[in-house]
Amino acid sequence: MAWWLSALVLFGSLAMLMAAALPAAFAFYGINIAGAWIWLGGDAGLVQLVRNGVASIATFSLTPIPFFVLMGEVLFHTGVAMKAIDAIDRLIWRVPGRLSVVAVVAGTVFSAISGSTIATTALLGSLLLPDMLRRGYHPSMAMGPIMAIGGVDMLIPPSALTVLLGSLAGISISQLLIAGIVPGVLLSAMFVGHIVLRAWLDPGLAPTFEHEALPAWERWKPLLLYVAPLVAIFVVVIAAMSAGWATPTESAAIGAVATVLVAWAYRALTWSNLMQALMGTAGISAVILFIIVGATTFSQILAFSGATNGLVALIRDAGLAPPAVLAAMMLVLLVLGCFVDQVSMMLICLPFFMPLAAAYGFDPVWFGVLFLICMQLGLLTPPFGMLLFTMKSVAPKEIRMNQIFRAVTPYVIMGILMLVLVAAFPPLATWLPKLLIGR
Amino acid sequence: MRAFERAWRRLLEALAAAAALLLGATAVAVTADVVSRNVGFGAFPWILEGSEYALPLATFLAAPWLLARNEHVRLDVLLRVLAPRVARLLERATDALGFAVCAVFVVYGVRTALESARQGSMVMKSIVFPEWWLFVPVPVCFALLAVEFARRFAAGEVSVGAGPHA
Repeated sequence: MAWWLSALVLFGSLAMLMAAALPAAFAFYGINIAGAWIWLGGDAGLVQLVRNGVASIATFSLTPIPFFVLMGEVLFHTGVAMKAIDAIDRLIWRVPGRLSVVAVVAGTVFSAISGSTIATTALLGSLLLPDMLRRGYHPSMAMGPIMAIGGVDMLIPPSALTVLLGSLAGISISQLLIAGIVPGVLLSAMFVGHIVLRAWLDPGLAPTFEHEALPAWERWKPLLLYVAPLVAIFVVVIAAMSAGWATPTESAAIGAVATVLVAWAYRALTWSNLMQALMGTAGISAVILFIIVGATTFSQILAFSGATNGLVALIRDAGLAPPAVLAAMMLVLLVLGCFVDQVSMMLICLPFFMPLAAAYGFDPVWFGVLFLICMQLGLLTPPFGMLLFTMKSVAPKEIRMNQIFRAVTPYVIMGILMLVLVAAFPPLATWLPKLLIGR
Repeated sequence: MRAFERAWRRLLEALAAAAALLLGATAVAVTADVVSRNVGFGAFPWILEGSEYALPLATFLAAPWLLARNEHVRLDVLLRVLAPRVARLLERATDALGFAVCAVFVVYGVRTALESARQGSMVMKSIVFPEWWLFVPVPVCFALLAVEFARRFAAGEVSVGAGPHA
C-alpha cells in the first residue's frame, strides 16, 4: 500500500471512530488492532500490542503526572484553594474589572500549584462566576478570563500535559516545565491588561461596587497565611528540579506530599476530602494514561506503514523554508485542537513533527513550548474545546454555549499572538531554562 | 438486575479506590526515598522502580470505573445533534465496537501473560519478578471494560458529557 493511502486509511478511520463517539482511547486501540494485524505481522503484532501497551505507561518519565494532578486536587477538595483566592481578592482594589482581574491572578497562582487545567477552571468558575454575574458583570467579562487562565495552567508548571509532551516527544521534562513559565506569566499579564482596558473603556461591562474597607494588616494577613506557603511549594518543586537535587518525578512527589501537609496544617484535611482528592487524581491520571496505552503501537504502525517517512520526506523535499514548515505544523495543531483532545493531538502529530523538527534544526524546548501553546488554545477553541464545556457545566443554566464561545474569543486571539511572539523570539521560551538549568 | 447494577458499581468503585490509594502511597514512598537519601539513610532504588509499575496498575484499575461514569474523553457532538432514536443506534454501535476491541485485548492479554510465563521470562532490575505479572492486569481490566460495554449496550442509554481532563 502506498504510504499516502496508508496514512489516509489510518487517519480516516480514526476520525470516523472518534466522530462516532467511541472514547478516544478505544478509537486508538481499534486502529491499533487493525494496523498491528496488517503491518506488524498479524498474530505476533497483536501480542506486541499488549506488550507495547504496558511498556508505554510503565515509564519513569510519566510518574510526575499523578503527583502534579494530586497537588491541584488536594487544594481543590480541602478548600485551601478557596482561601487562597479569597486572600488575593482582598489585595486587588480599585482596578477596573476587579473580579475578572482577581480570576486571572488567582488562576495564575493556582496554576503554579495545580497540574490540572480542569481543576483550575472548575474551581474559579464555581467560586467567582456566580458572584461576578450577580454583581452585573457582562458574561464575557465573567467567563472569558476564567476559561483563558485555565488554559494557561498548561504552560505554568506543574503541568501534567507538559510532562506527557516531554515524555512522548523526548524533550527534557525539567526544561520544558520551566520553559512554560515566561510565556504563561506574559499571557496572564496580557489578560489583565485586556480586562482593565475593556472595563475602563466601558465600565458597564464590569460595574464597580463597594468593597468592605479593611485595615492593611487584615488585607495582607491572608496572603501570608494562605498564598505564601503555596508559592513556597511551587518554588521548592521548581528549585529541586532546576538544581538537580531531585528528578521531575521526585520533585512532583515532594510537591504532592507538601500540599497534603499544608492542607493538614490548615486543619482543612479530612479522610473524606483526602480520599476525594485521591479518587480525582486516579480518574484524571487514568484518563490520560489510558489513551497513552495505545501510543507506542500507534507510532509503530505509522512508521511500518511508511506514513511517517513518506510524509516527512515529502515535506523535507518540498524545499520549504523552516518558518513555513513551522507555521504549517502550528496550523495543523490549531485546527486539530478544535476537534480532538490534547493527548490525541500528541499521539497523532508527534510521530511526524519530531522528525521534522530535528530535520529543520528546531530547538526542541522552544518547539515544545509552541506545541504547548497550540494545545492550550485547543482547550479554548470551539466547537470542542474542553474548557468551554467545563465552563458550561459550572455556569448558571441560562448561559448558552454561544455566549461562552464569544467570551473566550479575545483570549484565543491573545493566545495566538503569544504563539507568534514565542515563534519570533525563541528566548521567551529558552531563556529561563538556560538560566536555571544551563544548556 | 438492580442488585447486579449496585454490586457492579461497587466493584468498579473499589478498584478505583485501590488505584487512588496506590497513587497516594507511591507519592509518599518516593518522597520518603528522597528524604532518606538526603539525610544519609541511603537510597531505595526499588521505590522509584515500583512507582513505574504503579502507573499501569493504577490506570488499568481505574479505567472500567471511568467508563461506567462516562468519563473517558470522547467527542459526543454527533450524539447531541442526532435524533434520539438514531443517537441510541449510534451509541449501541460504539458499545459493540468497544466490546469487540476489549475482547481482542482480553484474548491477547491472556496469551501474552501465558506465553511469558511459559518462557519463564523475568524482569531483572532492582526488583526481580516474573514478567507475566506485568501483563495480568491487562486482560482483567479489559474483561471488566467488556462487561461494562455489554451492560451499556443492553441498557441502550445515550450518555453525553465530557469527562475529567488535565
